[in-house]
Amino acid sequence: MQTWLIAWRNLLQHGKRTLLLGSAIAGVAMLLLLLLGLSNGTRETMLRSATTLSTGHVNIGGFYKATAGQSAPVVTKYKELLEHVRKNVPELDFVVTRGRGWAKAVSAGGSQQVGLAGVDIDAERDLRKVLVVTSGSVDALRTPGMVLMFEEQAKKLEVKVGDLITVSAPTVRGINNTLDLTVGAIAQDVGLLSKFNVFIPAQSLRQLYRLNEDATGAVQLYLKDVKDVSKVQERLRLTLAEAGYGVMDNDPRAFFQKFEVVNREDWTGQKLDLTTWEDEISFTKWTLTALDALTFILTLALLVVVGIGIMNTMAIAIRERTREIGTLRAMGMQRGQVLRMFLAEAVLLGLCGAVAGAVAGLLLSATLNALNIHVPLAVQLFLMSDTLHLAIHGGAIAFTVAFITGCISVISLVPSWWAARLNPVTAMQHVG
Amino acid sequence: MIHRTLVAAALALLPALAAAAPLSPEEVKNLVAALDDRQRNGGDYRALMYLEQKEKDKSDVVREAMVYRRDGDDKLMILFTKPKGEAGKGYLRMDKNLWSYDPGTGKWERRTERERIAGTDSRRQDFDESRLADEYDATYDGGSTLGKFKVHALTLKAKEGVDVAYPVVKLWVDQESGNILKRQEFALSGRLMRTAYYPRWKKVFSETKKADVWFPEEMRFFDEVEKANSTVILTKTVDLRPLEANQFTKAWVESKSR
Repeated sequence: MQTWLIAWRNLLQHGKRTLLLGSAIAGVAMLLLLLLGLSNGTRETMLRSATTLSTGHVNIGGFYKATAGQSAPVVTKYKELLEHVRKNVPELDFVVTRGRGWAKAVSAGGSQQVGLAGVDIDAERDLRKVLVVTSGSVDALRTPGMVLMFEEQAKKLEVKVGDLITVSAPTVRGINNTLDLTVGAIAQDVGLLSKFNVFIPAQSLRQLYRLNEDATGAVQLYLKDVKDVSKVQERLRLTLAEAGYGVMDNDPRAFFQKFEVVNREDWTGQKLDLTTWEDEISFTKWTLTALDALTFILTLALLVVVGIGIMNTMAIAIRERTREIGTLRAMGMQRGQVLRMFLAEAVLLGLCGAVAGAVAGLLLSATLNALNIHVPLAVQLFLMSDTLHLAIHGGAIAFTVAFITGCISVISLVPSWWAARLNPVTAMQHVG
Repeated sequence: MIHRTLVAAALALLPALAAAAPLSPEEVKNLVAALDDRQRNGGDYRALMYLEQKEKDKSDVVREAMVYRRDGDDKLMILFTKPKGEAGKGYLRMDKNLWSYDPGTGKWERRTERERIAGTDSRRQDFDESRLADEYDATYDGGSTLGKFKVHALTLKAKEGVDVAYPVVKLWVDQESGNILKRQEFALSGRLMRTAYYPRWKKVFSETKKADVWFPEEMRFFDEVEKANSTVILTKTVDLRPLEANQFTKAWVESKSR
């Protein structure tokens, strides 16, 4: 306790130096917390957007192959699957079915490949909450032959609400078909997921692919607790196989990334594919990895700068206080005690700086969230959102404070050791 | 005098009237069978082709390819030789499966029989043996003219249970030469998807068939959905001499791309 008191007094005595170093530490802590908040915010936005736009928490999708080389993302007899799900998944909150397709959309102004999501808009619970329609209405999807697309797609195809586009795709049997669609709504972009996806009524998707009423693209399960995803996926894998369904081996990728593999396999008929929401958006994971890498690199670089600063400042302090150390040692203070004293100073400095930085980071993130700042398109792709969203939780704050304090303590070990090594006689004779 | 003039005029019109006379279902069937037979070789086939692809907002791409066929075994291979970036890429049909090979990755991918070849407006059927009579039932739409040519216009509908890329095809067949001059393909929805023109045909004598084999020297494909896209295929040389026995194998394609 005495060591801590001495350390605290020393910090107060050298107020200017403490403030300078403390500010630098607070700056690093604040930046780390903000970057963690950005990473968490992106992850949360991704989960919210992905699980409404393109995937459930768990999906029962699959492929139907009329011939070995011709696969379609189709699940037949989905009503029986719905019954199976309701019987075997007590964790279920709600379930929706979505048609899946991949087609070429052509307008008078351009063309692009699009992923078609066939929806029953009245059965969708959260889709309206995620889609921010800037033109037209989501209700347009109640009418067959309408399409909801995103701003960037509309720009590329040079269309507005009321314009006509043609989608062209081969049916399950490989026969070319087309469908004329009217643009019924245009929604704000939501990152990578809105780059390719468009929504059409399920009935229109069936018309394009000539599917029966009991066929869909995927049964999307939404659970009460998203943490149950793996458990439910594994259970369904077993129970569906037991019920006689052909189930594909686990392949943690989005359905449209599997055509090549599925086409290479020799089977025909129906096979189910069980995926989680993370599998279906695995192609976007690079954004989170990049964000985490950026956080790591920036924090490391700042820590190195601050670390060198701390070592340097402490070395100067030790030099200034050499005679004081010599006197303390002559009075009987052991080397270990000297080391602990300097270490305690560093720990206190690190802790105070980190706490101050965390508080500043929290305030700044709250301000940024409140400002609802719109980010440029390139950043939208990265963040999966059109606005900046930072999510700072207790865990991130505790981690930041502990990490920064720990790093500062480790860095200060060297100068503290130098201080402890000083010879009392030489130190007392030192003229500083 | 007037009477003689009228008779002369009637006589002059006779061939045209005869040409316009509708063909019976049997004659239509024979006509379609003849279209297949004229192009059928039965033995091996090797052709050097150039594919020129035009797409909206993209620069034109010209590819050189060798097309190999062994019609007796229903085998087909398309091997790209130019430009450098495309050289070694190829398609191989074996046992009703169409495979594509990319030397860059060294991977074979099974493709659908009806997909575009190398992203152009051409399809496997454009390079393959003609099978119109096997795949479609034809009806006669009447005689008409296509430019300066008098043609038979036919509508072909896919036979029950036969999977084809386009369920409805319209053909314009030159009455004089018997060559297809124009072809239009329609989607299930009835929308026109692609128009093809065959302005030049050539024949080469086949030892296997002991008769001439006809091939289109020039094929022009126009995408009717994306109007700005088109592909021209020129057949430079056709050789009907026997090919290597082991040519239609994955190993052969891989060896050529090394």
